[in-house]
Amino acid sequence: MSVQYTREVDVLVLGGGIGGLQAAVDLADRDLHVLVVERDTSIGGRMIALSKVFPTLDCASCITTPKMAEAAHHDMIDILTYTELESVERADGSFRCQLRRKPRFVDEKDCIGCRLCEYACPILLPNEFEGGEGARKAIYIPHSNAYPQCALLDIDNCIYCGQCIKACPTDAVHFAQEAEEIEVRAGAVVLATGYELTPMEPVRRYGAGKLPNVISPLLMERLIAPHGPYGKVLRPSDGKIPDSIAYVQCAGSRDASMGVPYCSRVCCMYAIKQAILVSGALPLVDVTIYYMDIRAFGKGFETFYQEAKAMGIQFVCGKVASISEDAEHNPIIRVERKEEGGEVCEDTHDLVVLSQGMVPAWKPADKVAVSENSYGFIEVPEEKIAPTATKLDGVFVAGTAAGPKDIVDTIVEAGAAAAQASAYLESSGWLQKTAAKRSYRTPEAASTEVG
Amino acid sequence: MTDSKASPRDLRIGVYICHCGGNISDVVDCPKVVEAAAGFDDVVVSREHSFMCSDPAQEMIIEDIRKQGLNRVVIASCSPSLHELTFRRTVERGGLNPFLYEHANIREQVSWVHGSRPEEATAKAIRLVRAAVGKVRLLTAEERIGVEVLKRALVVGGGLAGLRAAKSLADQGIEVTLVEASPFLGGHTAQLEHLFPHADQARELMAPLLRGVADSSRIEVLTRAKVVGVEGYFGNFQVELEVQPRHIRGPLPADKLAQITEACPKSAPSEFDYGLRERKAIYMPYPGCVPEVPAVDMQSCSRCGKCEEILGADAVDFDEQARRVKVDAGCVLMATGFKPYEPYKGELGYGELEGVVTLAQFIRILGALPKDAGELEVGGRKIQSVALIHCVGSREIDGVHDPSPHRPLRTYCSRVCCSASLHAASEIRERFPGVNVFELYRDIRSYGFYEEVFERASRNRVVFLKYSDYEIPVVKAGNGEAALSVVVNDQLTGGKAVDVPVDLVVLASAMEPGDAGEIVGLMKLPIGSDGFLLEVHPKLRPVELAVEGVMVAGTAQAPMSTDETSAAACAAAAKAARILTRDEIPLDPFVARVDLSRCQGEGLCVAQCGYDGALQLEEIEQDGEKVKRASVNAVLCKGCGACVAVCPHRAIDIVGCTLDQLYRQVDGLCA
Amino acid sequence: MSAASTPETRILLITTADSSYPGADTVGQMHLGYPTNSSVIRVPDPVMLPERFYLYCFKKGFDGIVVMSSGAECPYEGSYERLAKRLDRLTGVLKEQGIDFRRVKLCAICTVCAASFVREVNQMAQLLDEIGPVDRDAVVLEEEPAARAG
Repeated sequence: MSVQYTREVDVLVLGGGIGGLQAAVDLADRDLHVLVVERDTSIGGRMIALSKVFPTLDCASCITTPKMAEAAHHDMIDILTYTELESVERADGSFRCQLRRKPRFVDEKDCIGCRLCEYACPILLPNEFEGGEGARKAIYIPHSNAYPQCALLDIDNCIYCGQCIKACPTDAVHFAQEAEEIEVRAGAVVLATGYELTPMEPVRRYGAGKLPNVISPLLMERLIAPHGPYGKVLRPSDGKIPDSIAYVQCAGSRDASMGVPYCSRVCCMYAIKQAILVSGALPLVDVTIYYMDIRAFGKGFETFYQEAKAMGIQFVCGKVASISEDAEHNPIIRVERKEEGGEVCEDTHDLVVLSQGMVPAWKPADKVAVSENSYGFIEVPEEKIAPTATKLDGVFVAGTAAGPKDIVDTIVEAGAAAAQASAYLESSGWLQKTAAKRSYRTPEAASTEVG
Repeated sequence: MTDSKASPRDLRIGVYICHCGGNISDVVDCPKVVEAAAGFDDVVVSREHSFMCSDPAQEMIIEDIRKQGLNRVVIASCSPSLHELTFRRTVERGGLNPFLYEHANIREQVSWVHGSRPEEATAKAIRLVRAAVGKVRLLTAEERIGVEVLKRALVVGGGLAGLRAAKSLADQGIEVTLVEASPFLGGHTAQLEHLFPHADQARELMAPLLRGVADSSRIEVLTRAKVVGVEGYFGNFQVELEVQPRHIRGPLPADKLAQITEACPKSAPSEFDYGLRERKAIYMPYPGCVPEVPAVDMQSCSRCGKCEEILGADAVDFDEQARRVKVDAGCVLMATGFKPYEPYKGELGYGELEGVVTLAQFIRILGALPKDAGELEVGGRKIQSVALIHCVGSREIDGVHDPSPHRPLRTYCSRVCCSASLHAASEIRERFPGVNVFELYRDIRSYGFYEEVFERASRNRVVFLKYSDYEIPVVKAGNGEAALSVVVNDQLTGGKAVDVPVDLVVLASAMEPGDAGEIVGLMKLPIGSDGFLLEVHPKLRPVELAVEGVMVAGTAQAPMSTDETSAAACAAAAKAARILTRDEIPLDPFVARVDLSRCQGEGLCVAQCGYDGALQLEEIEQDGEKVKRASVNAVLCKGCGACVAVCPHRAIDIVGCTLDQLYRQVDGLCA
Repeated sequence: MSAASTPETRILLITTADSSYPGADTVGQMHLGYPTNSSVIRVPDPVMLPERFYLYCFKKGFDGIVVMSSGAECPYEGSYERLAKRLDRLTGVLKEQGIDFRRVKLCAICTVCAASFVREVNQMAQLLDEIGPVDRDAVVLEEEPAARAG
């Protein structure tokens, strides 16, 4: 195990989603050296998998890919994907960061992203990027917009047939590749570790993730994306085009019984957006949104909501009590219709999307000495005047790592983290201390290698 | 076609065909493409390599440039989105101008899409290479455009956003001029009391920020100042300010301050208290405000001289005149904030019925009550029940809500009023447990972690009544039981009309855009249909305005809470910092360029240009005559080419993609 | 795939640097096929192309042109409207010259619109199968203005 080497950068950004990339670009544009560390196989985060974004209905990929390219091609940014942060420690006015680069079993330097290995591989597996729909190979490029365009081998599902090795024109496949331990010294750290959807498996009343036609909103994003798994909206159980789709709001938000008492801020809007998009794709479909309050609070959101209503999307005020299914796997929703005198109804639909909330995707515990708020997100103690500053001086947090928020608010907060981090480097003396080295750095490698 | 430009000046072109390890060469007959390319005019080197992006191949190209004297390079490989920059750098390392390079995409556009037809694919690859060679012949050496930058930011607005942005810039080592139209910093945030969700005291919270700004050697603060003139562009704005006189020299000791306010005989409604109270003609809104020098309201002042008697003649100058100040700034940050919407007379009883106030006013009322007050008293009346009505002047729907004769319909949600109302409701219930509180709402929008404000109000047994989008509650005089009566069709109980007798009605009124002043017109800053400043793109460039070099910070853009305002202000500061920390901003040279030997000065191109100041007619001297000719501001031009299409004399082109270059590409594709 | 790989006709795909050119890349990455008689050129925005450019293409050897604009994603202010107007005028010119105006098609293609990209090319190829090549001798191309002497 472990080739050891040490790097020095001005700022280490943990997380290569839209927030991390924006923070990295804003810092790098100030001539600060940035290392982006992403634990997944590609940068781009959640946003690259979305279809279109509210309230402008811009294509998500068309907004994410330029930011990915900007970061990837930036002279002052280095990117390590498939790399975990193991610890951050404060030492001599800077941070010692231990990283572990997981083996891809494909050499990133040599891989040219040609997919010949992928075509040669005989193993078919569910495609995680498509929410488990569609297939990928055991050796594969994560998705068409992935950066780096570098294959990786899913060693747990590999049968060692060697077809990929034979197919690779650059001899980039190495079954024996090992994890690498990397130590980085950084002047400041930005945490942009993002979110996950509230898990539904523990929630028996909503089918505990077992009802085939009750799906997650991220799968729905893929189904309505122009480059999705089927190119159309089909329901999982039988591939039928749904005539009636329901959204269950606050499924995993505003619900103390699930340990998620807070509101996740985006679910109302993404449900409305998906309802509009799916109505466009399937003109005859009926869409019903079961909600407690519609929280269309951001710029342009309220008119977007009113347009959805005018389009004929049904809004039913009431918290869904439970979801079951009939013999044809049609989900049945039990709901108390609040605005109709509290009448309890059972409504059957072809497909149900659970508007799941956000929980943190990464826990700082034992790794970085920042504090968590009572909901488990990274705490910003003085958020009203010191946005993005965590309890640990010199460590900043941006985007959904600090709490649920939409893309716009994430991008804005990433900019704030960049400003705060660069002010910190000014006041901590880091810039003065590293001024001499700075002038020797070549534009080719953003981080200097020392030792 | 005229070929006036095609007279080759010793062109020596190198063509390089990449196999991409079989990705291209398994379909395309690469040797055949190499052979064909070798036969094109002025091609002196034509080679192939299994990986053109590899170090040995790049070295090969560099050596060819040096030894064979190449002065143009074409590489046919994968998509330029992957390696155009790589190869530009290669060419540059070989000593050639990086813009004398052209790319042909024979992987994504040939081998990967025509895999089943290798012969046709090879023919197409040859066509693409021929087109690239045709174009590269006409490419010219270019330099990146350098924009000189004045290293100072002008921040317009001294509320929370402006303070936060100015401090953030100063902390990053940048000089700032902060301009505030009113006499004091702090904006509307200073008028708040206990902020949701954690009840921090607003002015205590802002104190370190205010002190930080006032004490910073990098920040120049000008109050009672307005922008009256702007010239220049991105990186180089010359801004003219008009600064109204303060008439008082300070700072003053606390006892003197108390004496003059006592002595001043004139008063006027207090802006700080939204007109609920009076202040003197010489005044400071609250202790500890910045600057710590009282302001004189000359409209109310009678020049009686009482303050002069106390302070001495040196400290007071009634004849001080307004002055003009010039500021050179590389960037402008618009932090002109919001104002709380004041309902028109008669809107839900406002201004007609006693006991109807806005939430902003109510916060001042609560703030003025003694901490240990046992009863909620407003205007001398004891209050036993309060109704808070949400969405006053927000979320209005065209065709549903009657357009008011007093203002346009306001369709947006003001974002913070739900949480602020719920927070106020809890404060009433906790301080005065005997007072009943009703919240009349459409949707409770206590988003994110603010949900705890809603939970707290629910725990405090606030009564919720939901009114529909289509039926606004009615506020009328009470029938004896209480001073007022609010009638609402409550959706939670089947839409039945409920008559709620209350002593006080609080209107959670909208956030309106603040008065940004003349600068909006002077700089042609874009305003959205909601009246707020409009960002370039909500996700790509959320804190920048379409006028290059101008950012927006905080509620000048849209309603926001205090923490969101601070974050937006810092984000705007980050965008400004990337400009202001450099001596020069390098820009790509791909913008419009005028050929003065062809331009006749008709100005058809100018009419097509969508970017203010990017293209105009300028008077120049040509052949001893004064003539008008098109002139491009390379900093403001975006390089879209709208001007190119309409020029009847072919006098304007986009660098790196001229019409002649495109015609040669077409020739190459058709030959 | 459609039968449309008639080598006698040629299709020009005018793409934008920000949207449809990366869209063509996506088509490539997905290994979707389209007729080999089509070629892509890249411009900042098709609004830069005068009517004459289209006539020049027909004169020189193209038979169908798909203008793949960025549509609503266009980064240039008001540009799409100007482009649409120009193509309206172009339609008039084509009619005057007896060239089937369907040979120029405007559409919006984004960075991941792979399916629409292929559909547009195939539809144009199909049309060309029906109506055949342009009568190049009939295309009237105005001379370009020369630079002033000196």
